[in-house]
Amino acid sequence: MHTLELHNVNSGYNKKTVLHDITLTIQEPSIYVVLGPNGAGKTTLFRTIAGILEPYSGEVVFDGENVTSSRDVRKRINYLSHYNAIPEEMTVYSALTFYANMQGGSVDQVLALLHLQELTDTKISDLSQGQKKRVSVAKVFLQERDLYLMDEPTSNLDPGYSKEIRDILLKLSKDRIVLYSTHNLYEANDIGTNLILIKNGTIALTEKISNIQLKEYRVGIRASTDISKIIDAERGEQGYYVLSVSSPEEAGQILKKLIENGVLVTEMRQLENPLQELYETA
Amino acid sequence: MTGERVKSNLVRQLGRDPGIIIVNRGLALSKSYVVFAIFFASVAILTANFGNASLGGAPANSGIYLRPLSLLSVALIAIAGVTLTTSVILLYVYDKNNGVLEYFLSLGMNQGDIYKRYLKAGLILVSLLMVAVTVANVGIGLILGRAVTVPLAATGIAAALSLSIVSFDTMAMMAFSSLQKQRAGANQPLGLALGGLLVVPAYLTPLILPFIVVVAVDLAEAVIIAALSVALLLLSSRLISREKLLP
Repeated sequence: MHTLELHNVNSGYNKKTVLHDITLTIQEPSIYVVLGPNGAGKTTLFRTIAGILEPYSGEVVFDGENVTSSRDVRKRINYLSHYNAIPEEMTVYSALTFYANMQGGSVDQVLALLHLQELTDTKISDLSQGQKKRVSVAKVFLQERDLYLMDEPTSNLDPGYSKEIRDILLKLSKDRIVLYSTHNLYEANDIGTNLILIKNGTIALTEKISNIQLKEYRVGIRASTDISKIIDAERGEQGYYVLSVSSPEEAGQILKKLIENGVLVTEMRQLENPLQELYETA
Repeated sequence: MTGERVKSNLVRQLGRDPGIIIVNRGLALSKSYVVFAIFFASVAILTANFGNASLGGAPANSGIYLRPLSLLSVALIAIAGVTLTTSVILLYVYDKNNGVLEYFLSLGMNQGDIYKRYLKAGLILVSLLMVAVTVANVGIGLILGRAVTVPLAATGIAAALSLSIVSFDTMAMMAFSSLQKQRAGANQPLGLALGGLLVVPAYLTPLILPFIVVVAVDLAEAVIIAALSVALLLLSSRLISREKLLP
């Protein structure tokens, strides 16, 4: 069991404070989605936790050790920047070997893990943005560590590779803390169990994603017949009958009513992402 | 263990050395500086041997006036060294801009650790240059059948001066690279200018001062600049914050 603590952390660049008085304790191994608009301070938060930025005041403590002053504790953290950080003139294999020599780990293993074997002799500069991102992610997985800070790990990746990376992180998160930033709200909802919402350099909310309640739920229903005569729903986008309910329980009652009226419901889904409202108000 | 295996292990170890890796990467990235450095070094070798050869038919007491010409090669070799190590400075800026230095920091390194890697690479390059110049001077001396004392002395002084100037230049340029607003090596003229400025005394003194005074001035300058470089390296973690290494 690992513990990450931030005590009254103020941090930023060129003496300009970006993070204001952040206090946070994370103990439960899980994926924590860090959400917030551009410029909210997500990357600054990650850099400060990784020990790359020294806080102006306050401290970051991982398993009882100060991250800023202890090299050993920084070596237990894996950080993925949204910069690829891969020497462009090297081949995929030599770039990963370059990092493996510094941090340890097996190049062949990560090549297999991220399906990069066919690209081993390709120069980084010749790769697509998505392929570069996979190599960048591969270097972070060279060696397992206790804390993962993943700043937009699936940006530029197609859905298949995104899912693979999420699966790897889900597996790692069983006994480790993973902080994961993304702008993809569906991805956030899909992968995260906890949410850390950053707003103007402060933590606006920390909550289990399952506990996040919306003021109103828009539900889309696809059915065998016109259900607008049975319930108060309008024909909406993509063939859905759309209606608003106040809670998931009310949606269940509507489904029950439709079935009792002999309607074959082929699909029922929540049209908005529960994180959308939070994100827009942040 | 056979000789072949020892050799192969040595090559593998060297291939993993951070300084050697930076040397290879730097040279691969900017070959034009290698060409310029070879040009300056060639002129330096000719100058050293021309100054020396000109003593052949001159009266013994004129040596004190002619020999300092050989010491002009000190400045030219130092310029060759500064030019050659510009590739390392460029690589530093390149690595800073694409996040490699940020990743180094995340692996537990501090500013000083990172500076040392690039500094080591710069010093390796200058050392290789000095070996090449020494071999060339000895070779020319043997071909011409002349004593190589003065060219070798000039190379020795140049080695001391070049290593110190390159150390200072590399450290200063890395430390202040964040001042540059334009990306991708816009600091190269400044790096060359700084290095060139430090070489000025070595250019001027052979023209106006006697041999022994020139040697003393060059060596004194080398010692002072070396001391400044060491101080800059030791204080780097305090003087320069980690954020200066971020893209």
